[in-house]
Amino acid sequence: MRLLICIKQVPDSTTRVKVAPDGTSIVTDGITWSISPYDEYAIELALEQKDNAADTVVSVISVGGPRTKDALRQALAMGCDDATLVTGEGADTLGPLGIANALKSAIDELKPDLVLCGKQASDDDQGFVGPALAEALGWPHVAVVTKVAPSAAGTEIWKEVEGGHEVWKASGAAVLTVQKSEKEPRYPSLPGIMKAKKKEIPERPVTGVEDPVTIEIVKLEPPPARGGGKIFKDGDVKAHAAALATLLRDEAKVL
Amino acid sequence: MATTTSTDPEAPAFDLALTESQALVQRTARDFATEKLLPIAHDIDEHGTVPPAILKELASLGFMGVYVPEELGGAGADVVSYILASEEINRACASTGVIMQSHNSLACDPILHFGTKAQQERWLRPLACGDTLGCFALTEPASGSDAAGLQMTAKRDGSGWRLSGTKNFITNGVSADVVVAFAQSEPGSRHKGITAFIVDKPSTGLSVGRVEQKLGIKGSDTAQLVFDGVRVEDDQRLGQVGDGFKIALAALDGGRIGIAAQAVGIGRACLEDALAYAKERQAFGKPIAELQAIQWMLADMATEVDAARLMTWRAATLKDRGERFTAEAAMAKLFASDVAMKAARSCVQIFGGYGYLKDFPAERHYRDAKITEIYEGTSEIMKLIIAEDMLE
Repeated sequence: MRLLICIKQVPDSTTRVKVAPDGTSIVTDGITWSISPYDEYAIELALEQKDNAADTVVSVISVGGPRTKDALRQALAMGCDDATLVTGEGADTLGPLGIANALKSAIDELKPDLVLCGKQASDDDQGFVGPALAEALGWPHVAVVTKVAPSAAGTEIWKEVEGGHEVWKASGAAVLTVQKSEKEPRYPSLPGIMKAKKKEIPERPVTGVEDPVTIEIVKLEPPPARGGGKIFKDGDVKAHAAALATLLRDEAKVL
Repeated sequence: MATTTSTDPEAPAFDLALTESQALVQRTARDFATEKLLPIAHDIDEHGTVPPAILKELASLGFMGVYVPEELGGAGADVVSYILASEEINRACASTGVIMQSHNSLACDPILHFGTKAQQERWLRPLACGDTLGCFALTEPASGSDAAGLQMTAKRDGSGWRLSGTKNFITNGVSADVVVAFAQSEPGSRHKGITAFIVDKPSTGLSVGRVEQKLGIKGSDTAQLVFDGVRVEDDQRLGQVGDGFKIALAALDGGRIGIAAQAVGIGRACLEDALAYAKERQAFGKPIAELQAIQWMLADMATEVDAARLMTWRAATLKDRGERFTAEAAMAKLFASDVAMKAARSCVQIFGGYGYLKDFPAERHYRDAKITEIYEGTSEIMKLIIAEDMLE
C-alpha cells in the first residue's frame, strides 16, 4: 500500500506570534518552524501501517519555499520513505485552493492508495486543503480520523464522533483528514535523522497551478491582553464564597 | 532578516550555524527532554533512580551510541550532535544526563577508538544499541586526580589475566553490564604499566561494594566495584599492555566536553527557571524581573551560559575534525562548570526562600551543578592540563 501525507510547515506551537507592521501577516524572523501537529498525527498513523506491514510505502509532500524542506526532512527522519517538495516562485503565497490544485497534480503522478492530511493546520485553523483536495481529485473524504486498518475489501477507517467512533470502509482511494489520537507521534530517532540526511528531496514546479482567490486577509490582530485575576485574601471564607458567586453571575456571566 | 556585511568573497567560513541533521538531533533531544524527562525530574531526584522505560526510550532514539558509526550499531552522528543532545537532556535532568554520557564518552568511546574489530562486535555493538549499559572504572580509594597511582593489579594467569583491586565512585557501577577497567600490569611503573580491560558484569569475583549517597545527580547510581581475582581472557585486553593510561586520558578528554555540555544544560535550566519565576513573582507592586538587581543576575547568567556553550561547541568541533582538543576540552569544562555553579547560586537567590525548598527545581540544580567541578577531572586538574598544554 502507498500512503501519501500532505504536510504543512507552521510556526512551532511555542512561538510567540507577533503581527507584522502591514497588519495582515506575522513577523517570521526568528520563528522556529515545525510540522503542523495534526499532520504529525497523520504521519504517525501512516508509519504505524508501515510498522505492521513492511511493504507499505509512506511518502510525504509539501507545498512551499526552500525552508519547507526542513519539515520534509523531519518527516523522513521520523521514518517516511520519500519526500517531495512542490516549490517555485509563488509557492509561499499560494491560497488554499491553489495548494489543493498543486497537490492534486502531484498526486495524479504519484498515485498513492490513500492520502492523509492533518484535519487542520495549527496556524490558520482553516481545515480547507484536505476536503478541497478530495474534491479536486474526485475522491471520497473522511474527516476526524483516528485509526486506519487494512481489511479484505479495502481500508477500515475509524472516525471520531460524539461519545465514540464510527468505522467506515473505503474500497478504493480516499482522502483522510486526521485527528489527534492516543498514540503520540514518534520522535525522529538519531539513526533516522542520519538516514534522512542521505535522501534526496525531489522538487516539482508549482508553476501553472490554478490558484483562484478564495480568501483575502483583511486584518490580523492579537487577542486582547488578559486582565489581572481577582484574589480573595484573608478574612471570612463564607463572605468570599458569596462574593465569588456574585461575580461569577453578574460579571463573568457564567452562572 | 540579517544582511551580509562581508564584502570579501574569500572570507573564511566562521559559521556557528548547525547543520540540518544537527538541528534535528537537538530538536529530538529537546522534545524528548521537555515532554518525557522534565515532568519526572523531581521524582528521579527524590527516588534516586531513572525509570528503565526512560533509558529504553533513550536507547531506541539512538542516544546510547550517538557517535558510534551505524555499521557498529550506533546512530552515526557527530560529536557536536552528541554535545547538543547532552545539553538538552541535562537541561531537564542531570541524573539521566550523566548515565547517558558516562556510557557514551567513557564506555563506547574507548572501545570505538582502541578496540579490535572483534571487541567492537562483541561489546560496542550492544552498548551502542543500548542493549547493555557501560561504565568506566579508573578511580580508586587512594587514587583520584593522581590516576597513575592506581593500585588495582592485572597479573598474568596462563593465557589471560587476573584483576584484583577496588574501584571507587563508579558512575553506573550498579547497573552497568560492561566495565572498562584500568589496572597496573607492571607494579611500580606508574602510568607506563597501566593496562585497560573490558570486563563483563557479572563476572566471577566482581562484586558491587558500597553504593554511595550523593549530594546531587541522585538518579544515577555511583558504586564501589570490588575485583577479587577476576579472571579475564587476553582478548578482553583493550589496546596494548601499558597503553591503559593513554586510553583513559583520551576517554576523559572527550568525556570533559560532555561534562561541559552537562554544565551548560544545568546552567540553562537555572537561567530558564529563574527567568520564568522572575516574570511571575511580584514584589513592590511589580514582577521582580523588572528590578534591576534581578535583571543583572539574569543578564550575567545568560551571557556566561552562552559563552560556555560556544567553548563547548568549539571543543566538540575539534574532536569531530580529528584535531587535538585536550586544552580546549579542559577550558570548556573548567569554565562551564564554574558558570553552572554561579547560575545555580543566582537561581536559588532569585527564587528566594522558595529556592531553598524541594518544591521548586532551584535547589536540585544547585546540588546537581557541583559535581561538574569535580568528576572527570576537578577544576584544579583542568587548570593543570591547560597550563601544561601552554608550557609544552
